[in-house]
Amino acid sequence: MLQITELTRRFGEVTAVDRVSFTVPPGLTGFVGGNGAGKTTTMRMVMGVLGIDEGEVTWQGAPITSADRRRFGYMPEERGLYPKQGVVDQLGYLGQLKGMTRAAARETVMAHLERFGLADRAKEKVEKLSLGNQQRVQIIAAVMAEPICLILDEPFSGLDPSAMDSMADLLREHTSTGVPVLFSSHQLDLVDRLCDRLVVLARGRVVAAGSSEELRSTGPSRYRLVLDGDAGWVRDLRGLHVVDVDGPTAILEVEEPGAEQALLTEALGRGAVHELSPIRPSLADIYREVTA
Amino acid sequence: MSIPEHRGPAWPIVMRRELTAKLTDKAFLIGTLGSLVILVGYFGYVTFTATKSQSYAVGVTAADRATAATLVTRAKGIDATTTITLTEVPDAAGAKAGLDDERLDAWLHQQPSGWTLTSRDGSDALATILGQAISAEVLADQATRLGTSPEELLKSTRLTQAYLIGDAEKAGLAKGVGFAFAFLFYLAALMYGITIAQSVVEEKQSRIVEIIAAAIPIRHLLAGKILGNSILALGQVLLYAVVGLVGMSLAGYGKYLGVISGPMAWFVAFFIVGFVALASLWAVAGSLASRTEDVQATSGPLTILVMLVLFSGLFATGTVREVLSFVPPTSIVAMPMRVVEGAVPISQVLLSLGLLVAFAAVTITVGERLYRRSLLKTQGRVSLRAAWSSTD
Repeated sequence: MLQITELTRRFGEVTAVDRVSFTVPPGLTGFVGGNGAGKTTTMRMVMGVLGIDEGEVTWQGAPITSADRRRFGYMPEERGLYPKQGVVDQLGYLGQLKGMTRAAARETVMAHLERFGLADRAKEKVEKLSLGNQQRVQIIAAVMAEPICLILDEPFSGLDPSAMDSMADLLREHTSTGVPVLFSSHQLDLVDRLCDRLVVLARGRVVAAGSSEELRSTGPSRYRLVLDGDAGWVRDLRGLHVVDVDGPTAILEVEEPGAEQALLTEALGRGAVHELSPIRPSLADIYREVTA
Repeated sequence: MSIPEHRGPAWPIVMRRELTAKLTDKAFLIGTLGSLVILVGYFGYVTFTATKSQSYAVGVTAADRATAATLVTRAKGIDATTTITLTEVPDAAGAKAGLDDERLDAWLHQQPSGWTLTSRDGSDALATILGQAISAEVLADQATRLGTSPEELLKSTRLTQAYLIGDAEKAGLAKGVGFAFAFLFYLAALMYGITIAQSVVEEKQSRIVEIIAAAIPIRHLLAGKILGNSILALGQVLLYAVVGLVGMSLAGYGKYLGVISGPMAWFVAFFIVGFVALASLWAVAGSLASRTEDVQATSGPLTILVMLVLFSGLFATGTVREVLSFVPPTSIVAMPMRVVEGAVPISQVLLSLGLLVAFAAVTITVGERLYRRSLLKTQGRVSLRAAWSSTD
């Protein structure tokens, strides 16, 4: 398990990351936040490519060492590879830097290229590949050496839907063997769909963390009511906050537990009720709320 | 599946990549080949002109024919590559006509005051050799009359030169070789320096450096880069030097090879240490930039430094040059140039080399620190001060 405790980084006057704490247990953890929220800065500190002003990063309970990091898979924010070097050559090089033998690195690289349908472009220079393919090569660089933990900065950006699926499959393969994966993304629906947990960052601070169910349950529960006639009368009920009334439809927030039952009784007494249903807030709603 | 692991330092892996990246680069190979072609072509030309024979058609009147023939024989003994063919002309007018329509290169005729060589526009080489032939002939004639030999006659007049510094030809050669050394260093230092800086900024700009930095100590990245490029630079310079030496021996300077190979060894020693000393600074220049476009600005001071090394080697004289031959980095060029030109006590050479090694140790230590601290700063140009005082 990767644990981040009170991590802080300042750039001059600006505190980019402000006492950030969260854990990355085995499984997929989504790292969500707007531009400049501090996601990349946090990930770079975890990988040791940026100095830490305060706080610490621990791996399996002990302060992280460079030997640990050497076994991490890392994908930096801007896709970085040697543009003028062939795909196999540079992936093989990166594998060797991570401690693989030349032959083992080559073998793993070819297997991964095969999987992404890039085997026939193995000898091509990276700059000749499309951006999506460059990204596939990049993710191979991160996962090829059987990483014990994955830190991926925006791995899904710029991928087409089928590439996203194969990327997601690849990540699940690694999480299924108990590898913690932390990945950042702007795409909330994607994070919602894939992640076991998520950490929301805003202005350098953690504003929410937990499973998406946990996050959803923290907000007030909302209901949608659809009647035959006008729903204006709901404003007179106690224990409810009326968010919106539009003709026969009303959106309500329950302030006192059980108020929704009283509402139903009242509504049935007044006529037909077409719908009374809880509204599952989307992650985007929650995100807007916690980062507001 | 478990992956076979390779345990060992990372710098040889980096070094190997630097080597293969360069050795498979078409521009590099074509550049090297082009330089070799120019070098081979130059020595081919020198060899050709040195061994090319010259022939002259010289007109003589019937009266001078016999004497002229003995002169031609003597001339042959003085310079075998010059062939003089005698053609008989009826008189002065006939000789002039022969010169006019270019059948003759010159007209040789005897007058009471001596010989006259008439040509269209003067032919120094022919006049020199004929002059020597005439002196030798006259001398032999006089000696016979006095009952002695030309050698006896000239014995007490002979001026034997004893060389303290070396003879003029050797001095000229030394100068030439020194210039070649200086330029080779200049070109290699600049070319490979910029290559190192560019490759550093390429890694930085593409962020691959973050992946590498997470995998291996940055020290190893720097060491592999410097070693790889040093090997390439030295290999290329040695290649040129070997071709140059072979060319020199073919061009008839073979007797000087022994004289030059000693200084050449010193040159190589100074080159290696000097190149490594500057290479870490070039890496810093690259790491201070964030984009390829910035490299020119961050490497400006180094370019000036390398030019200073060149010019001090070429143009400094006297005491200034002696001092500069001990001061790194100007000693990289100045000391081997002094060695090739004349006797420099070995203790002085070793002292200078020792100082250069110390200088290299300093630049590597300082360079490593600056490189490590500025490499991962990817926003804009990093100032030297910021790089030095920052905490990773």
